[in-house]
Amino acid sequence: MLYKKKYSSWLHRINPALKLVLLMGGIIAVLFIHNVNVMIPLVAALAGMLLIGSGQPIGRVLLFMLPFLFVFVSTGSSMILFGKGETLWWQWGPAVISRESFYRGVHIGLRALSFGLIGLLFALTTRPVLLFYSLMQQFRLPPRYAYGFMASLRLLPLILEEFKTLQKAYKVRGVDSVKGWKGWWQKLRLYAIPLLAQSIRRAQRIAVAMEARRFNKSIQRTYYYRPGFSSEDGLMVICWVGIFAGAWIVGVQWPLFEITDVRFNE
Amino acid sequence: MKNRFKLKLSDILVTTVVALVFGVIYKLWGPLYYAIKPLGMHLEQLIYGMWFIAATVAFLLIRKPGVGLLAEIAAASGEFFMGSEWGLAVLLSGVAQGLAAELVFAAVGYRKYSVSVAVAAAAAATVGSLLLDSLQGYIGDLALWNLSLLIVFRLTGAVIIAGWMAHWLVSALEDTGVAELVRPVGTATVDPD
Repeated sequence: MLYKKKYSSWLHRINPALKLVLLMGGIIAVLFIHNVNVMIPLVAALAGMLLIGSGQPIGRVLLFMLPFLFVFVSTGSSMILFGKGETLWWQWGPAVISRESFYRGVHIGLRALSFGLIGLLFALTTRPVLLFYSLMQQFRLPPRYAYGFMASLRLLPLILEEFKTLQKAYKVRGVDSVKGWKGWWQKLRLYAIPLLAQSIRRAQRIAVAMEARRFNKSIQRTYYYRPGFSSEDGLMVICWVGIFAGAWIVGVQWPLFEITDVRFNE
Repeated sequence: MKNRFKLKLSDILVTTVVALVFGVIYKLWGPLYYAIKPLGMHLEQLIYGMWFIAATVAFLLIRKPGVGLLAEIAAASGEFFMGSEWGLAVLLSGVAQGLAAELVFAAVGYRKYSVSVAVAAAAAATVGSLLLDSLQGYIGDLALWNLSLLIVFRLTGAVIIAGWMAHWLVSALEDTGVAELVRPVGTATVDPD
């Protein structure tokens, strides 16, 4: 889990369900941006919002952003090398880099980067428990889904512990690990089945206990956490729409490259 | 009839727990995928099918409508909360892949639990993921030979991992006796194939 209690900013106080809707909306909007000139200011603005707004030390955020650069390079590379295009730049065997495929590859890489940044913005500022409480109250998510999910999140550490116990048990009993594909298959059998079977049994028992305590009851519930709305939610909506609108204006008014649509047209 | 198929808290809890275990695997799968990717020629697509496995395992195990989709979304959100490289986009993938697999389960009336259903669901999830990728990654603009390679590799991996292996995993779980705990009355018998 990326969320840490000790850091906080105004983004932490945004209604979690609203934040989820806004950020998912942002991702869907990105799917319809085909202009690489718009993506560049958008990614810059998102990175800025993350660095300033997440409330975390900048070094920590930069550390989390590190894998995204890797994703950026590897997502775009196959499009750059093997994408369709007309203006040829470079060719070596099956790899053909054209002007069109290059910008398209960069665009896809920036897209992956923006998805990563939006995801990090959400994960660093949202407490999972509050998200489920908010989904129950603001979006009428049936409590059995919300509580079921929260309970299963709590079961993960137990499964990890069981995994360690199994490891030790196999060691004590002298189960030799085989190398290669056979070893991979053996590990799968030795670990996946007991771990899954145990967690299913445990989940079943916990569910019975939760049903007995009426955790599945939907009507007339009371809630321990009551996430509501405040003026900061309004600010968030304005910021979010502003980022996308601003990136659009900057990208269209002051384009860096002459390509405005990275899709391939015959 | 309707009651038999309604998801109870226990179904949801079992589904999400199984899905979250796969969510951990999904998260570990990301770096593995990117480690293979620079080798080129889409070899990484052979392991892509692992990201579809939660839906087929959950359905074969619990045998109720909706668990396939629920499992895929739960696994994706688990992957997301653990800090996925793809960020919130994994939720979109989860919905697309889970819905596609769920359509196959619905097409057989939620009454068949064979290898062929698992394989068909894996293939459908592949189609779902490809549709999303054509929106997100413009894969339609790849050179034709390259795109074919991608599709063939992804489909092969999906059929083996999310189809055949998922079915094998559930049969092994049936032998431990936990499957009878979670299935609705009347579908609890173990399939011969």
